Amino acid sequence: MADTALTKAETQPGFGASFVSGLKARAWGLGSIAGGLLAWELISRFIVGNKLFLAAPSQVVVAFFQLASNGELEKHIYISGLEFILGYVIACVLGVLLGLAMAQSKSAKQALQPWVSGLYATPTVALAPLFILWFGIGIMSKIIVVAVLVIFPVIINTEAGLRTTSPQLIETVRSFGANARQIFFKVSLPSALPFIFAGFKLGIGRGLIGVVVAELFGSRAGLGQLIAQSAETFNMPALFAGVTILAAAGIAMTSGFGWLERKLLPWRE
Amino acid sequence: MSDAPVKLSVQGLTKRFNSLEVLRSISADIGRGEFVSIVGPSGCGKTTFLRIVGGLEKANGGEVRLDGRVLDGPGPDRGFVFQQDNLLPWRNVLANTEIGPEIGGYRNPEQRSKTMQLLKLVGLAGFENYFPRQLSGGMRQRVNLARALAVDPDLLLMDEPFSALDAQTREIMQTELLRIWEEGRKTVLFVTHQIDEAVYLSDRIFVFARRPGRINEIVEVDLPRPRPLSMKRTPEFVAYVDHIWKLIEDDVRASVLEEHA
Repeated sequence: MADTALTKAETQPGFGASFVSGLKARAWGLGSIAGGLLAWELISRFIVGNKLFLAAPSQVVVAFFQLASNGELEKHIYISGLEFILGYVIACVLGVLLGLAMAQSKSAKQALQPWVSGLYATPTVALAPLFILWFGIGIMSKIIVVAVLVIFPVIINTEAGLRTTSPQLIETVRSFGANARQIFFKVSLPSALPFIFAGFKLGIGRGLIGVVVAELFGSRAGLGQLIAQSAETFNMPALFAGVTILAAAGIAMTSGFGWLERKLLPWRE
Repeated sequence: MSDAPVKLSVQGLTKRFNSLEVLRSISADIGRGEFVSIVGPSGCGKTTFLRIVGGLEKANGGEVRLDGRVLDGPGPDRGFVFQQDNLLPWRNVLANTEIGPEIGGYRNPEQRSKTMQLLKLVGLAGFENYFPRQLSGGMRQRVNLARALAVDPDLLLMDEPFSALDAQTREIMQTELLRIWEEGRKTVLFVTHQIDEAVYLSDRIFVFARRPGRINEIVEVDLPRPRPLSMKRTPEFVAYVDHIWKLIEDDVRASVLEEHA
């Protein structure tokens, strides 16, 4: 097996070389992460010395595999993932539509602006218990909390993106006799896309917070419930395992969006 | 110009911005295939005049006729070349050039081969898939010109298209514009504040005066074509430049003083 790997590396020098150069380019970042984990491990083992106060990374990894092996983790991830995706997609679709309405119509803007400004600044996550009271302990209340948190940055960015469309570009297509519909689809919308994407990206972090907080207040399953349960039983390694999965999901989705952005909007940079 | 049939006819055109009189009763005829430049000091309304002909702005009085039809609003019978290139950053060179045909709803294989011809004509063959951010200022202005030509307009309207370019690129673009113009002999209305550019390019020059904007004098440029760049150093050429400079000198001084007041 070592042999095949070697021949492969030899016949495709590009891959091995690019992998190594990729590691080199990220040396400081990777070193920083490794150093941080090492310091965490050492402090929790030798200075704190009690996993009730601070679980070491190695203990978190053990807890992770324990949870994964009995299928419990899978269930929690599935429930939280479902809540997040449904709430997030609903918020993105509705948010873009409302943002479009606000940019296109003065009366829609006047009617919606006070609500958008007010609710965006309000820590609506504090209202999560209320949503659970209204919509029950199941996934519906979580979907709504996520949607409420995600929708505002999407609305605001969509509207700002459309509003900042260059008047010179609009005039240019108008000089060829473009009508209002053509101006919208050929100029305003494409020029707003980077803003809309930025709104989607802002929504990821807010949505994840929404899922966890809503589950903390009352749920039957989900990563937030796992975290709450672990806290109650003082199982700190499991608590950290839940938090780590959420952090990884946030990082993966944000960089996934970055990749999608480069694919869909190659004209930037 | 007297021998060519009238392409563009402007009668008694006036324009006010609130109480400020920008253009006062401008009347002029431009013949088919003629290259006419408009020069004048800042604030003489030359760009406003061009924008009214392009349908981007409404006049307060008078009318503009193209081939006898009264113009109202913009349309593909005129191609507008803007001062800033105004290319859509998310479209590559080919898609930017074809925006006019696309808006007119006649994008097809035949049009595509015309567009490719056009890109070759402006010296951009091979750059079809480049995005605007990957191009130099001169190349972007070539796309700007190709985009206006792509609708095969009866009249080409150019608003100081080379003013953002450096001096050398500007001279090259002037010779390129003449070369391209010789190919199709479109009727051109070209606004500039550089007198030598106007003399080098034009058959006739409308010299504007300011406050209110009006035609001070029409100068016929009787220089042979094709015109090499070296022509700019001949006594005849310099005499034209001097003559036009004298016409606008007082106005320019007045506008400079006003700007610094």
